Amino acid sequence: MTGLLPIPRRHAIALALVSLPACVLLAQDADISEKLYQSGERAFHAHSYPEAFETWNQLLQAAPRSSFAAQALIRMARYHIEVEKKPDSALPFLERLKTEHIKSPIAAEAMLLRGEILAQRAKKPTDMKEAIAEFNRVVDLYTDNPAVAGAHYQLGLAFQGQSNWGRALQSFLEAYRLDPLSTFAPKALLQAAEVLDIRGDLQGCLRLLERLRERSPNTPEAKDAAWRIAVRVKWRMQKTPLKSEGLWPAGKAAKWVNTPTLLTPGPDGDLYIYEDGLDRASVLHKNQSAPVGGLVKGAKAMMVAPNGLPWFLTKQGLVKEDGVPAALAGNAPTGGVLDHWGTVWVGDKKIPALTLIDLDGQSKALPSPTTNALAPLPNGGVAQASDANRDVKFLDANGQPQVWIPYGKGLSGVFRYVLALGSDALGHVAAIVDGGEFEGVVLWGPDGSVLRQATWRQLGISGKFVAIAFDRSGGLILADRSNDLLLRLN
Amino acid sequence: MTRPLLFTPAALTLISVCLSAQAPQPDPALKDAAKQGKDLWANQGDRDGATIKFEQVLAALEPKSLTLDPEWSLLLCETYNWLAILEDRNPAKKADAAKRMEALVNFNPDFELDKNITSGKLLSLYDGLRSAKLAKVSFTYLPEGGVLKVDEKPGPALPSRHLPFGVHKLIYTKPGFSPQEVDFELAPKDSRNVDFKLDRNASTITFFTYPSGTEVSLDGKSLGKTPVQTASAEVPVELKAIAEKAGLKVEDLSGAFVLSDLKVGKHLLELKSSCFRPKRVELGETFTTPYADHILEAIKLDPSRGTLTVSSPWPGGELFLSGQSYGALPVNGVSVCAGTYDLVVKYPAGGFSQRLDVPENKTVSLATKPKPRLTFIGFDGTDDFPGKSRLITHLKGLGDRLKEVAFIRPKEGEPSLEAMARIKTAKDTELVLSLNTIKDKPGSAVDLVVGTLGGEVEHFAVKPLDEDPLLDLVARLNMQPQIWEPSIGLLVADLPGEAGPMVINAGDSEKAGIQILKPITQADGKPVSTASALRKILLESKGDTLSVAQAGLATSLPLGREPLEIPLYAANLCYPFVLAELRLRTIAAKGDESAFLKLNQAIALMHFRRYDKALELLREAKVLGSGRSPQVLGLGQGTVDYYTGICLSKLGSVYIPEAIQAFGKAQGFPNSTLFGPDGPLVAPLAKQAAEDLKN
Repeated sequence: MTGLLPIPRRHAIALALVSLPACVLLAQDADISEKLYQSGERAFHAHSYPEAFETWNQLLQAAPRSSFAAQALIRMARYHIEVEKKPDSALPFLERLKTEHIKSPIAAEAMLLRGEILAQRAKKPTDMKEAIAEFNRVVDLYTDNPAVAGAHYQLGLAFQGQSNWGRALQSFLEAYRLDPLSTFAPKALLQAAEVLDIRGDLQGCLRLLERLRERSPNTPEAKDAAWRIAVRVKWRMQKTPLKSEGLWPAGKAAKWVNTPTLLTPGPDGDLYIYEDGLDRASVLHKNQSAPVGGLVKGAKAMMVAPNGLPWFLTKQGLVKEDGVPAALAGNAPTGGVLDHWGTVWVGDKKIPALTLIDLDGQSKALPSPTTNALAPLPNGGVAQASDANRDVKFLDANGQPQVWIPYGKGLSGVFRYVLALGSDALGHVAAIVDGGEFEGVVLWGPDGSVLRQATWRQLGISGKFVAIAFDRSGGLILADRSNDLLLRLN
Repeated sequence: MTRPLLFTPAALTLISVCLSAQAPQPDPALKDAAKQGKDLWANQGDRDGATIKFEQVLAALEPKSLTLDPEWSLLLCETYNWLAILEDRNPAKKADAAKRMEALVNFNPDFELDKNITSGKLLSLYDGLRSAKLAKVSFTYLPEGGVLKVDEKPGPALPSRHLPFGVHKLIYTKPGFSPQEVDFELAPKDSRNVDFKLDRNASTITFFTYPSGTEVSLDGKSLGKTPVQTASAEVPVELKAIAEKAGLKVEDLSGAFVLSDLKVGKHLLELKSSCFRPKRVELGETFTTPYADHILEAIKLDPSRGTLTVSSPWPGGELFLSGQSYGALPVNGVSVCAGTYDLVVKYPAGGFSQRLDVPENKTVSLATKPKPRLTFIGFDGTDDFPGKSRLITHLKGLGDRLKEVAFIRPKEGEPSLEAMARIKTAKDTELVLSLNTIKDKPGSAVDLVVGTLGGEVEHFAVKPLDEDPLLDLVARLNMQPQIWEPSIGLLVADLPGEAGPMVINAGDSEKAGIQILKPITQADGKPVSTASALRKILLESKGDTLSVAQAGLATSLPLGREPLEIPLYAANLCYPFVLAELRLRTIAAKGDESAFLKLNQAIALMHFRRYDKALELLREAKVLGSGRSPQVLGLGQGTVDYYTGICLSKLGSVYIPEAIQAFGKAQGFPNSTLFGPDGPLVAPLAKQAAEDLKN
């Protein structure tokens, strides 16, 4: 159905009895407002945005209550969001739409957009309150509007951000249940599957992922589901032991990297490699390596920002795109994680606390043992290794421990040190461990159970392994700084 | 091959007269009555008795005098003659004899009285009456056997006629000859001789068909149908020969059909009759060179029939083929003419309609089920809008485009409000389609409304000037809700490097030998490499089991079907139709099937926010889990209880305790899921919902 049709599908129509002159007048107004709207639309498509805005403003003055005025307001709001990339500038248009056209089905779209902008502005879970209220209004006021599925999906994301997994699951499933063929449906099903896994229902997660693959096969989410199924089945259900596949990527000769010390997967699955010998990072995309970001000396931890650029922790502080270090509480950072809210979690091997630095640069300390390695978890929290405590903890988004793993638990021997932690989006955590009876690689599941373990001897490899990362094919990548190479374990 | 037969022109005339088609004739018993009248007088001298008999005959024939065939006309004339004789000898009725003579002159002045029994006095009276207003004209015909048209009225070519005084136009015609016209004037006491001599200008072909009523075309031009044979006491020998040669009884043949005016050259005769195979007869030049009259052997069409069997698991169906009832279902092996039918099955609720082709010598079996009836109540037409006639044309053709509903057109001239009232009273439809104009909105949109009689409606904004304004309506009315899918109880997934879809969860199938974390490489004897390929085979499978193989080892798994939920707001569904369809399916369903249909009906009602109605259905839905292992995941009683909780929670805060109770019950079914067997477990969702309500 086109947006220009004056009645929404399934919307009851109440035809008011009007006198003939009023009816004629109304028809004339409608005619003018439609012409003004279409004129603005033409200008908009020709990228003559000022002209389009001027025409639509005329429409807003001439017939502020017409259905075309509502159309114009939503177009103007979308311009700020999609063309100007300034969502905040869209808010006045959306608020006007909400105030003046509350009975129009377009108001549902406006409120959904407004909620999304508010959610994007949130810096911490409690900031989501207003956005959640807006999404709830869409659900309550416009029961059969297509925006309702979007509102449920956004509610799911909001609850997910608040670690309210039960409500997040409900909302994602509701978004899917309304219309499995809607654009939101595959997204919602993917998120619902992930929430099920976080809640410990692996079989339920796999069922939903497979349902997604079967019923929405040509969507990006179905592709995403494919590797998520494969990796989960491989790590958690199959029992094949780890073995080294040798140099990685295939076809690359040794020493194609210069002293690799940090590995971090990016949001699209590409691998970011920090080369200490070059003082910079590169990104490996389809086996092709390309430098990314500026020069940073002596990086101790690396994160990838949503814009694809790496951030670093050095002795001097937190280094973002501008290359200027922002001082940290300590000078021995060992791990950094950038979470959903833009907050950087910093672990330090000398400070008995985790430091959380928000987008505005404000920091707060979370009491904790000293940290030797840190990796992000899909629940918004982190995995933290502490040699002082000789344990690995999985913390939730509030920093509360959910899983506690003493060093050596479930292994053939204990170890003393964790040299590096790596994690994937599915909640698997891998560690390079050293000292004591067990030196090699350990892989834990989201519940802390040991899924794989192998000593260097068992793997038949040697070197100075200092970083570990997952790939999306169910492999582990190791960085050997002394031999200037990467290895893959499978 | 059809060959010409040679008959004399006289025989041809006899056959033609004998077999010509006529209007319905009087009761043959009247002939017996006339004979009895003659016998009463001749053998017993019973004049009164004879008179009574002839009066009976007269009373029966006289009112039909204008439509009687020659045989009955002759009997009527004889009856006048006999009554005149009898009445002339009865003093009480003597005066009536003259009236009989006058009536006879008026009816057929060419009838000659029987001089053996008629008195000279009556003969003179009759001649006097005739000559007072008629003059005698005598004819000769060459050739004989034609039709004489007197003042535009056709009749047999008799040797003489008595015609009124005045100007007359006579035309003598015979197929294959040029007609001849003669004009003259008759005065009192005139008598005239007229000789007709026609020139041949074409050939004629006379033929008979089996069956009668066969459509005849010559050189592509339709000439009508062969007539039904008229019963006749005496069948000409020639006609018997024609019938015998074709292996038919004389009465099986049609009446004679004459192809006249056949000019020189070849001609193609085509014959068609329903229930028979069409036939083509090539007529060579010998038929037209020289011009002559021909009679063909009988043209016998071969029967063309098929067999039809119609059954239905739903009770109360009655079969109609192109409007004719064939009785209650099942109808087994009924022989019908090969061809295309409008097949309709009327059920107590719902209907089924399909255009059906029954091929010759084939058996067509059809299982029917009632479809929702969609009655279009028309459009009053008081409001005009651009594209109105175009939209109405599209709406008239809507029935041909709908596959899942039986479309009922509006009654001619019935206002839509009256139609609606009638439908509500009769309840002989499940769905109603109406049309409203939207007066206060620009864009000339029209609102089509599909609704149930219970008031669940859906609106379709239609632009009459769109290329296909009904596209969305048709697509959604043709979209059946999917509420079942085949299942072998396995959860499989595609993993890189595996030879086929990997079994992730086998449920009870593990006992049958299915191994977890091993790929399935074959299903139903065909190689499978992906989960989609396995699903495709599942969807196509029809048996009770499906053979699947892992590492070359085949295992036979029971092939069941698992219920699915319908979506709540799917853009491709028309929910009033979904509701009507599910209601019909529920009528014939039992046990768990009925429960799942009610669950989906409840979801369809939730679409319309009719939570009270939905709740009633959910309370009726009891899933017993028969035929399914308790370990198998899928929709179940927990699903029903979960939606019961949802409905109660929507009915206001007063029902919150009951909703919490329902969510509590749902948690007692750990294997119940939402959506279908591959959906999420209900129990944790119910727990969350109950907690939300408590808070």
